[in-house]
Amino acid sequence: MRNATLRRLCAITANTFTEASRQRFFALLVLLGMVVAVSGAFLRVFNFGSSELKFTADFGFGCVFFFGSILAVVMTTQLFFAELENRTALPLLARPVRRWEFVAGKFLGAWALLGVFTALIFGVLGALLLVRSHELAQEAIRAGESAPWFSVQGLAIFALLQWLRLGVVAALTLLVCSFARSLLYAVTVSSLALLVCQMQGTARAALASGSNSWVRVVVETAGRLLPDLQLFDLGVPLALQPAGVPAGVVASAAGYGIFYTVVLLALAVWLFSDREI
Amino acid sequence: MTMSATNNGFAVEIKNLVKDFRVGIRGVKLRAVDNLTLRVPENCIYGLIGPNGSGKSTTLKILLGLTTPTSGECSLYGHAAGSMAARALSGYLPEAPYFYRHLSGRELVHFYARISLVPPSEIEERVDNVLAIVGLAAAASRRTGTYSKGMLQRLGLAQALVHDPKLVILDEPTAGVDPVGSADFGKILMEMKQRGKTVIICSHLLGQMEELCDRVAMLDKGRLVIEGTIDAVLSRPGRRTLTVEGLDDEAIAAVEAVLARHGARIESIGSPRESLEKLFLEKTAASQPPEQA
Repeated sequence: MRNATLRRLCAITANTFTEASRQRFFALLVLLGMVVAVSGAFLRVFNFGSSELKFTADFGFGCVFFFGSILAVVMTTQLFFAELENRTALPLLARPVRRWEFVAGKFLGAWALLGVFTALIFGVLGALLLVRSHELAQEAIRAGESAPWFSVQGLAIFALLQWLRLGVVAALTLLVCSFARSLLYAVTVSSLALLVCQMQGTARAALASGSNSWVRVVVETAGRLLPDLQLFDLGVPLALQPAGVPAGVVASAAGYGIFYTVVLLALAVWLFSDREI
Repeated sequence: MTMSATNNGFAVEIKNLVKDFRVGIRGVKLRAVDNLTLRVPENCIYGLIGPNGSGKSTTLKILLGLTTPTSGECSLYGHAAGSMAARALSGYLPEAPYFYRHLSGRELVHFYARISLVPPSEIEERVDNVLAIVGLAAAASRRTGTYSKGMLQRLGLAQALVHDPKLVILDEPTAGVDPVGSADFGKILMEMKQRGKTVIICSHLLGQMEELCDRVAMLDKGRLVIEGTIDAVLSRPGRRTLTVEGLDDEAIAAVEAVLARHGARIESIGSPRESLEKLFLEKTAASQPPEQA
């Protein structure tokens, strides 16, 4: 029984990943992401006073989240909702496949794709930062200054956190898809939800000193229901600061991401389980 | 033909099935299936016919667990419709199938074999077998995005058959398919019946349904209008058809006199014709390989 479920889940995941990885949109976003991430090194004159490595890293991290979020929303919607719109879900769900297996398979396929995307962009960014940090270290030694700090391990941990963050976005998108009636609606609502998730930390901070109580209640409520994606912004301290980030903070961010992913997926399964196909 | 201990020789049993849809903002009730009761015997080709919106596709979807009924009962080989056991016994070709366009035909059928839990050691053989049956072996490595409509229908049939189901449900399998492809579909269905399978087919091509089906059920506005064997449904009591050769006007007059003595009369006289479909097949079948259908 458990073996059968696992086989179906693996088949749906593998099929989702294969289908998605062959789409031009994925290749385009990977290419675009790499080009933009690398271009940070050539735009360092606009560093607004930051150190060169920090500017390049920030630029690359922003690039991963921006293009990764587009991929997570658009591709996940495409992978899930297009199945319903194009009716490819009919012969699939007419087989002995449970609805939760379908949702979970779609998520895992999309998440695997996001993993490949994250690994590729972080691979390029890591190589860039490593080469440049060595060059800057040589220059600093010659000038008798302290060399800039760069941790490959810290960058790898941050890459995993980014992958988790994109997983939360994909799960959120699946939740919207589970009740959406059109692809455009699914993409629009998922994008707005992503915006709220990303901005709620900033909104809370801005409202902390304000007096408008009902706005604060709305933001606080949204904060309890939707994940705060800014909690994953640990890239600079992890990769560029010698002190790093305590393991507990990294673990709690990872746990936070996993918790929200599971909850959002459970809601998506619940809503999708009774949907007329 | 094997029978389950609990299905009494029926592949499908539908009792008092009702399906209502809520439409619009006010949730106005639309009855798609209205108190339908049907029984499909095992090992037959069963046709569901009716105009658009008569509830055929909805009934099929309920049988497959894709839609839940408002009330009533449905079972497949004694298992509740929509249950894992029932779905494992059935293969489904939806109307106007659309498949993952970035997968090849072989990859697609392979995927459905895995989903249906075909033993891994048998998957390759089964995939090759069904692709050959539907005439897609030569095009199996092409992506489905490049397939014609007829090829997609064939691929749809291949995925429905790959796990060797006892019941095959086909929704408009030959819509948009040329007569050669349509005739090939017919042959495949007849072979499936010979192998003990049950086929439920839903189509607007009444000529083909008449030729293929053992029994038909006609639905209209969600209700069962008529059900029975093709002969029973189509026969007109008290009438006979004679086809004779070399009958001139004098002979016709003599026949009329004889018939009159028996209280009968000739209703019409004409020359029998071939069907256009048969003529098409005779003239084109030999020159058209199945992959180009």
